[in-house]
Formats: sequence, structure tokens, C-alpha cells
Amino acid sequence: MIFGLEFPPIENLVEWPNWFGPEGSWYGFNKIAFISLVAIVATSVLFILGNRKRSMVPKGAQNLVESSVAFIRDGIVLETMGPDGMRYLPYLVSLFFFILVGNIFEVIPFFHMPANARMAGPAVLALITWAYYIAVGLKHQGPKYFINAIAPPGVPKALYILVVPIEFLSTFIVRPFSLAVRLFANMLAGHILLVTFSVLCITLFTASLLALVLPLSFFMLVALTGFEVMVAFLQAYIFTILAAVYIGSSMHAEH
Amino acid sequence: MLALVNVFAETAVNDVNQAVAEATAKNPILPVVNEMFWTLVFFAILWALMKFVLLPPVMRTFKERADKVRDDQQAAEAADTARVDRLAQYEAGLAGARSEAVKLIEQARAEGDAERRVQVGAAEADVASLRTEAAAEIAGAKDRARGELTSSITDIAVGAAEAVVQKSIDRSAQVSVVEDYVAQAGKN
Repeated sequence: MIFGLEFPPIENLVEWPNWFGPEGSWYGFNKIAFISLVAIVATSVLFILGNRKRSMVPKGAQNLVESSVAFIRDGIVLETMGPDGMRYLPYLVSLFFFILVGNIFEVIPFFHMPANARMAGPAVLALITWAYYIAVGLKHQGPKYFINAIAPPGVPKALYILVVPIEFLSTFIVRPFSLAVRLFANMLAGHILLVTFSVLCITLFTASLLALVLPLSFFMLVALTGFEVMVAFLQAYIFTILAAVYIGSSMHAEH
Repeated sequence: MLALVNVFAETAVNDVNQAVAEATAKNPILPVVNEMFWTLVFFAILWALMKFVLLPPVMRTFKERADKVRDDQQAAEAADTARVDRLAQYEAGLAGARSEAVKLIEQARAEGDAERRVQVGAAEADVASLRTEAAAEIAGAKDRARGELTSSITDIAVGAAEAVVQKSIDRSAQVSVVEDYVAQAGKN
């Protein structure tokens, strides 16, 4: 109870019971897993519709799909990695759509839960990206990748005492952690914000004297819903572009 | 003393129990295995679908469009080059026709001038011939008039002289005098 509001505990906001599989099991399927499933189904349906009647002048779903792919290709891959990075486009497109659809469920009625407001999704995606850019580094530079990554060439030798631990922490520890936490924290914060204003609206609706404040609270709820749509897109973009930057930096020693 | 130990012991047990309970309670912030598992599975599926099924047609469309744009651009450039060539040919033809026309005009003008000169020469020759004939006719007429005048004056002078002297005068002797007089008068 805060200022007379019955605010639900955070467990109630982010934890969901399994739809099948026992609680605590490794394969328990809950609402978050379902949203992840919808992410691949929705993305696949969108691409199938977009690819169904391909024309030189795109319209409808084809236009949406091509615009999205062109946005990632031109705005992320070519900007951060150049033409050599085109082979990583499928990974980055998958990442973008998986995160975007997972995030957008924050504002979809009857769901109202972004999949990435749970740490599991961002952590897995960050770990995959971490493994991926290390693999790319090994593929392009061989075992020297680790040396180049933690001891960049051109640095005065005396500074290696400082640079090596910093680069090691930055490249191999902080990067995946920051990727995961940034996405998770933003989506969780947005989710809590929307829940807070929803609870406030409900409470004000039932409290007769405070009902005068209800329109303001409701307006904030609507505005924040729009804001969260933007955040959903922005976080998908940020995660994808950072993944591209990390992969691109692994391709060449001088980066 | 024993009671105090019991109190401490109970407190310690409670603290341990609380710590164990906190440690075993689920932290809503930490990732859970089942969600990580499904995220991994579904993302791997989406990645595979994207790489092998969903994205290739989009990339093919991009390539086809880029090829078509490039081909159309090349065709447009070829058409533009052909247009420029055709324009150059047309302008070269036009320049040739213009120079040919100038040449023809010059030729016609030269021929015209030559013809004019011939015609003028012929006309001038005709005029000179006519003038010569006219001059000859005038000279003849003048001689004839002078002869007639001399004869008339001689007749009048001889007649007048015969009337004055009342005797016949030799006409042939007076003719040369009259002729001299007429010739002298014609000079004055």
C-alpha cells in the first residue's frame, strides 16, 4: 500500500505461471515463452506476406518488409561494418525483429507484457551476440583476436598495464552485461510505469473525490503507451546496432 | 545465563532461517532457465528461418531491382548516347547541306555574273556597233547636207553675183570658194 494505492508486488508484474510443464522445470512454457513464439510466427508471417507477390514497386507488406530490411542493411550493417558485414545481415535482422516483437507486446491488449522485461530473453540474446562476435573475431583474425582485442596495437607499452585489464573487462565482460541490462532495464521500467499509471487510473476511478485527477492520469497513461512504442523500437535498434558494432570490431584488428 | 544463550541461539537460528529463505526465494530480476531455454530455441529457429527462407527472397528482390535500375540506367545512357550521335549526324548533315547550299549559291552567283558579263558585253558591242553605224549615218548625212548646202549656197551666190554684175559667172570656179567658206563656218 503506497499513498493509499494497492500497488501489486513486482513478482505479480513480471512472473508468469507455466502453461505447461511443472514450475521450476527447464522446459516450462509460460507467457514469456509464448511471446517469443509469437515473435517468430509474426515475423515469419510478415516476411511470407511480403515475399508472396514480389514486384519492382513494393506495396503493403512487401513495402514494410523491404523498408525494415533496408533500414537494417543501410542504417546498421553498411554504416558499422561496411559491405563485408552483409553476411551478418540475417542475424541482425532476426535480432531486430525478435526484440521488436517481444517489446511491442508491452502495449498489446490482453498481453501487456514485454518479453524483454524478463532478464532471460536479453541475457540469452546478449550471450549469443557475445559468442557470435568472439567467433567472428576468431574466424577473421585467428587466435590473435584475443590479443588484439585486449591489447590494441599502437598503444604505448607502459599503458598496457592499464589498457589490458580495461579492454578485457570492456570487451568480454561489460559488453554482454550492458547489452542485456540496457534492454531489460528499459523494458522493465516502461512496464512498471504503465502498470503504475494503470493502477492509478483504476484507483482514481473508484475514489470519488480524486476522480477529478483521473483525466490527467489517463492522459499520462495514453501518452506513456505511445512513448513505450517508441522505446520498444528504439531498444531493438540500439541492441541491433551495438551487436553490429561489436561484430564489426571483431572483423578487423585495427578497430 | 542459560536463558541468554537460548535467546542468542534462537536469534541465530532465526537469522540463518531468514538468510536461507531469502537465498532460496526467487528473485524476479534474475533470469530463469525455462525462459532462457525457450528464448534460445525460438531465436535459433527465427535465425535459421531468416537465413535460409525469409530473407533470401527479399535480397533477391533488392538485387533484381538494383539490376533493373542499372539496366534501365544503362539503356537510358545508351539511348542518350544514340540521341547525341544522331544529333551530331543531323548537325553534320545540316552543316554539309548548308555548305553545299552556299557552294551552289556561290556557283549560281558566279554563273550569273559570268552570264551577266557576257550579256553586258554583247549589249555593249551592239551599242558600239549601233553607235558606229549611227555615227557613219550622221557623217554621211552631214556630208550630204554639206554638199547640198554648198550647192545651194553656190547657186544662190552665183545667181546673186550674176544679178549684180549682169553677166554670167563660171559656177565651177565659185564652188571651191563656197566650199572653203562652209568649211570655215562649220569650224566656227
